[in-house]
Amino acid sequence: MANYAHPEVLVETDWVKQHLGKPGIKLVEIDVDSKAYAAGHIPGAVGFNWQTQLQDQLRRDIISKTAFEQLLGAAGITPDDTVILYGDNNNWFAAYGFWLFKIYGHKDVRLMNGGRIKWLNETDKELTTEVPQITPTQYRASGPDLSLRTLLPELLKQQPNQTCNLVDVRSPDEFTGKVIAPPGMTETAQRGGHIPGAKGIPWSTAVGANGTFKSADELRAIYLDKNAVDPNKETIAYCRIGERSSHTWFVLKYLLGLNNVKNYDGSWTEYGSIVGAPIEK
Amino acid sequence: MNHQTRVYDNIFELLPTEQNPTPLVRLNQLNPMPGFPLYAKLEWMNPFGSVKDRAAWALLRDLEERGLLTEGRGLVEPTSGNTGISLAALARARGHRLLAVVPNKVPQEKKILLKIVGADLEVISDELCPAPGLGDGSINLAKTHAKASPQKYVMPNQYENAKNVEAHYTTTGPEIWRQTEGRITHLFVSLGTCGTVSGTAKFLREKNPDVKIIAVQPTEGHDVPGLRNVAQLGVSKLFDAALVDDILEVDFRLAYTRAVELCRHEGLLAGPSSGLIFEGALEIVRRDQHGHGVMIFPDNIFKYTSNLVKHIPELGAGLQP
Ligand SMILES: Cc1ncc(COP(=O)(O)O)c(C=O)c1O
Repeated sequence: MANYAHPEVLVETDWVKQHLGKPGIKLVEIDVDSKAYAAGHIPGAVGFNWQTQLQDQLRRDIISKTAFEQLLGAAGITPDDTVILYGDNNNWFAAYGFWLFKIYGHKDVRLMNGGRIKWLNETDKELTTEVPQITPTQYRASGPDLSLRTLLPELLKQQPNQTCNLVDVRSPDEFTGKVIAPPGMTETAQRGGHIPGAKGIPWSTAVGANGTFKSADELRAIYLDKNAVDPNKETIAYCRIGERSSHTWFVLKYLLGLNNVKNYDGSWTEYGSIVGAPIEK
Repeated sequence: MNHQTRVYDNIFELLPTEQNPTPLVRLNQLNPMPGFPLYAKLEWMNPFGSVKDRAAWALLRDLEERGLLTEGRGLVEPTSGNTGISLAALARARGHRLLAVVPNKVPQEKKILLKIVGADLEVISDELCPAPGLGDGSINLAKTHAKASPQKYVMPNQYENAKNVEAHYTTTGPEIWRQTEGRITHLFVSLGTCGTVSGTAKFLREKNPDVKIIAVQPTEGHDVPGLRNVAQLGVSKLFDAALVDDILEVDFRLAYTRAVELCRHEGLLAGPSSGLIFEGALEIVRRDQHGHGVMIFPDNIFKYTSNLVKHIPELGAGLQP
């Protein structure tokens, strides 16, 4: 598939259609707009709500290992299943889910290329409002694999462009501080701008006109040649709350095969609120 | 139908036709070029208050004729408000339901109006971070309903349905041709679904290939409900570049200032998309100096008071004792 380093983590909509209802294949939809799943989803898919099910409801954090085990158990998923994630907005939160699945050691998780919009616009693909009947499982997770995640203390020790590549994947207006967050967002920061030394490469540069990922050659040209991401260094991606950066994290780690890529999920809502932290506009 | 008595058996008979056109009114104060009169076509004189009555009626009749509105199945449509208001009012008056999928940035007045005329309302968040391949959130959600629940919903899809263009080809175009007695030289329109521009331009160009079609668009990041700028035009499958001579891009805030000027100096209670069209027309009358212009004014100002206060703060001042 388009010469990706790890083609096994991506499936096409046609593949999903052919594997609907097959044993060992589980579909999960994760959207920004939580109305979308109820309005219609791929037959057999369960829906995860990123706000209430993928975030710890008390402190600001990803869900704990126990909560992850409960979530997957209730969704009828076992550690040996092939899990296909898809969602709206070009798989933003599906990619975030993918990152979370990897943190807790799920072996075979994949993204559906093009997300729910590609499926929606293909005439041979069905949607349903029917919620699947689930037989719960006892899911056992491993990890957490913290090599996939950057926390603030570690970030503050980095010297971008020397010790690491730092990739800001937000829109140009957020990068330059013209806006603190896209309009209407409740999670914001105290200040606008970006982390000094970060390269502004909007997440959307990784997808083509139909919403699917660009080829490995195109991606290499964008990230490595044009923007000088050094593949020999650690790479950290961030955005506003860690969902768009999961998308770029996926591209860099799995499609381009860079070997040390992390998601800084605290992202701008954390960094842009730190007293005394340096900011560039 | 005898429109001279102005007595009708039902509201549908008021819908505009060549024999019963919406009015054309000449501008008398704000047009600096005496050799280039400008006429406003007052689309808010449609029975449900906007140009979208034309498309809504054509879409609804088409679904009825094709037998697609059956017991238990209503319509679902993405709309910035006007299509929804027209479609809901028409549909309810004929015994059908409408689910209107509306972007959050649509003004409060329109959302409430939709409920008043009996639409079911689903409001969705505005676009977060522009990206290729995403299309428009309200269109996608409406399509999802139509695809997942075909027993409940049929989607006319004003962005792709040729009936939207046909409505203007059979009414707006012939009305303007007759009202100007064939003298029109310039047509000024805005672009939303592009039904208005494509249908009207096609008719007028067949009558006179020299009629200039001028489309006026708001700048990116705009707040002019109903309209799309160049970057957003991809969703309008009805746009035909061959039918447009000039596309003018106008700072969207001028839509609001010009609308208020039309209200204050011409007695024309024009809404923001009309204000934008007027600004584009001013540019062209100065450039071309001679002509006979028709501006299609899609709706009036009443639905936009909350947006107006945002863009013209003076209007919000002094409202409390
Ligand atoms: C206020 C307003 N102006 C202009 C338009 C554009 O008309 P059309 O969709 O025919 O391009 C619309 C359409 O939705 C509208 O609601």
